[in-house]
Amino acid sequence: MEERIARFVSGLRASGVRVSIAESEDAWHAVNHMGILDRDTYRLSLRSTLIKDPTDIPIFEELFPLYFGTDEPPLLNPMAELTPEQQDQLWDMIQEFAGDLEELLSWLLSGQTPSEEDLQELADMAGVQMAGSPQQAEWYARRMQRLLGWEHLEEVLEQIWEMLAEMGLSPQEIDAIKEQVGENQEQLSEHLADFAGRQIVDQMVEESAQKRDNVHELMQRSFNALGEREMQLLRDQVRRLAARLRSRVALRQKRGKNGKLDAKATIRANLRYSGVPLELRFKTRRTKPKLVVLCDISTSMRPVAEFMLHLLYELQDQVAKTRSFAFISHIVDVSDTFNRHRPATAVQRVLHDLPPGYYNTDLGNTLRGFVDGYLDTLDNRTTFIVLGDGRNNYNDPALDAFQEIKKRARRVLWLNPEYPRQWGTGDSDMLQYAPLCDHVYQVRNLAQLTDAIDKLMA
Amino acid sequence: MFESLEHVGEALADQQYIASSEIMTVLFLAEKLGKPLLTEGPAGVGKTELGKAWAAATGRRLIRLQCYEGLDESKALYEWEYAKQMLYTQLLRDKLSDLLADAQSLTEAADRLGSEEDVFFSDRFLLPRPLLQAINSDEPVLLLVDEIDRADAEFEAFLLEILSDFQVSIPELGTVTARQHPAVILTSNNTRELSEALKRRCLYIHIDYPNVAEELRIVQLKVPELGPELSRQAVEAVQALRQLDLRKSPSVSETLDWARALVTLNASSLDKDTLENTLTVLLKYESDAQQARRLMRRSMGEEGDGRTYR
Repeated sequence: MEERIARFVSGLRASGVRVSIAESEDAWHAVNHMGILDRDTYRLSLRSTLIKDPTDIPIFEELFPLYFGTDEPPLLNPMAELTPEQQDQLWDMIQEFAGDLEELLSWLLSGQTPSEEDLQELADMAGVQMAGSPQQAEWYARRMQRLLGWEHLEEVLEQIWEMLAEMGLSPQEIDAIKEQVGENQEQLSEHLADFAGRQIVDQMVEESAQKRDNVHELMQRSFNALGEREMQLLRDQVRRLAARLRSRVALRQKRGKNGKLDAKATIRANLRYSGVPLELRFKTRRTKPKLVVLCDISTSMRPVAEFMLHLLYELQDQVAKTRSFAFISHIVDVSDTFNRHRPATAVQRVLHDLPPGYYNTDLGNTLRGFVDGYLDTLDNRTTFIVLGDGRNNYNDPALDAFQEIKKRARRVLWLNPEYPRQWGTGDSDMLQYAPLCDHVYQVRNLAQLTDAIDKLMA
Repeated sequence: MFESLEHVGEALADQQYIASSEIMTVLFLAEKLGKPLLTEGPAGVGKTELGKAWAAATGRRLIRLQCYEGLDESKALYEWEYAKQMLYTQLLRDKLSDLLADAQSLTEAADRLGSEEDVFFSDRFLLPRPLLQAINSDEPVLLLVDEIDRADAEFEAFLLEILSDFQVSIPELGTVTARQHPAVILTSNNTRELSEALKRRCLYIHIDYPNVAEELRIVQLKVPELGPELSRQAVEAVQALRQLDLRKSPSVSETLDWARALVTLNASSLDKDTLENTLTVLLKYESDAQQARRLMRRSMGEEGDGRTYR
């Protein structure tokens, strides 16, 4: 049992659920207390100790039956009803016409459970090694059934019933056999599905070790060089990344007492020294940053923008207020979308609602639009962040508008995915904007982006 | 405290709390393993109620710590009662000068004062806040940490320290260790991600909105005055509302409020007017109410007599 739980835990981990050693130990204790007799209780004890996030519950529910399947009762043996002579007679006949179905029939009729090797061979032939998620188990199970000749089964069985009748069995006896074979059929198909599922999860366990290294490598890779699968892999990481960033930011904000004397707290703290200020208290009221983000979401910038917005909004509890704007040719306020939806959904919605065009980026127009409509979002506590490559399609860069913004905001930061040596080449106006910014960060990959966000939270 | 799963269910039922098998299992485990229980789920599904019912069912005293942004140690753990200390010093001034009157030297006076120091830093002037109360208590207690997701990340870290060994050190008094291991239940509305470390230490249960049958049982238990037919209609209407994309879905507690409102209004059936008048009990945003009215109109049109909403 212990080993099964351990295997189950590694299966969960491979599917992306975080399970610590302490938690699997808890699971073991819980099972010891609750016993294993009641399957539902058993499932719930494992779930409450291993799963700590509602989004992980479906994964758990999917994997649980694979590892703790309704320990299938062995297949029934319908042949037991027949005399040995009749059995031999039947087998001889089956061998004559069953052909490819012989294996399947022998399982169904004699109640022999297929061996692990048989199943393994079948799974390999069905191509289970190509599967990527336990959801596909059913599909592969059907392929395995087809390999066994399942679709011709009904015809062949009909013939067998006829033969049995010829051999002199009464209709009742045949019905009894039919029923048992029918049950065996169901059993077997479940068996196949479970086996396929287990195979898939085992594969995932092996692959996940590689995947972990992979993520590290992917974080260093340029956004533009990421395929869709790799993007997905990184998306899964964003929350974890955000959690790490959050604790760092929280810690820093706690330590970074900004030095102002808190008169009220000092007097109160020093009452015990009858008002002599022996212990100084400083204002710990942390100034969470206020952010205004302007995101270029034209084609080339999409991946960066996606991760940027996602990360920022995962960190909302460390930020006093965020207003976000997206632009391609003109400015669009997207704050509301983010207030109403979870970060992951909101990002997808914004990207979906604003499809990219061709060469229609207009940064200047966007900046003017911001100054005209949203300048009141800036005050002396606000950090203004532009995420863009500074490529303006030879439009007017609107430096005066940018100046205006700089005057109002506490800081102006620019995140640019391009190498500095590319700035100013072609239609890039970056060299004109750069001197007006307090900082320009290069964000070619997720690692750099995380660093930049970490810094701007300070 | 609990002998079996059934016992948990019965004990909770005595407290008028209808528990799913999941809740029973987790509660039983929390008792057996002595681990804190973290409950998550939408607002108003009875997470806090569960804490109260648990306390009552096991005869523990309930100590509640309501979290909010900016909650700190002095509000959660303990505080010295400065005002009282000052007052005592003032009032005892004469006594103090008596004590120090015949001191020969400054050192002697200071020594004498020093020996009396404990008077001023004793339990007398210590204002225990919920966490210290829970640790200090002689009788068994249940600590309910409500809406932990509202507290800051740093408070969470601090709480973690307490939850792991149930002892705190007060510089002036020394370390206080729990005399008995308090049971702990934390609730969270999932407005922010809790830290891995906290989750790791807790058993976890996600409580979602109940299904029709469960909610009907709850309504009939808590508001028996509402007839069975009307209860069913009301619950079905609420469940239909939850299917909509609302800013805030009606919670179980709001269903109960609504049921009580229907009783007060002496409603005999769920007709258009009754619904219209009482909708605000269920829905707290105008945009949500409008959406609900649209749904009503649609189902009215289909049903004609406007009796049921499904």
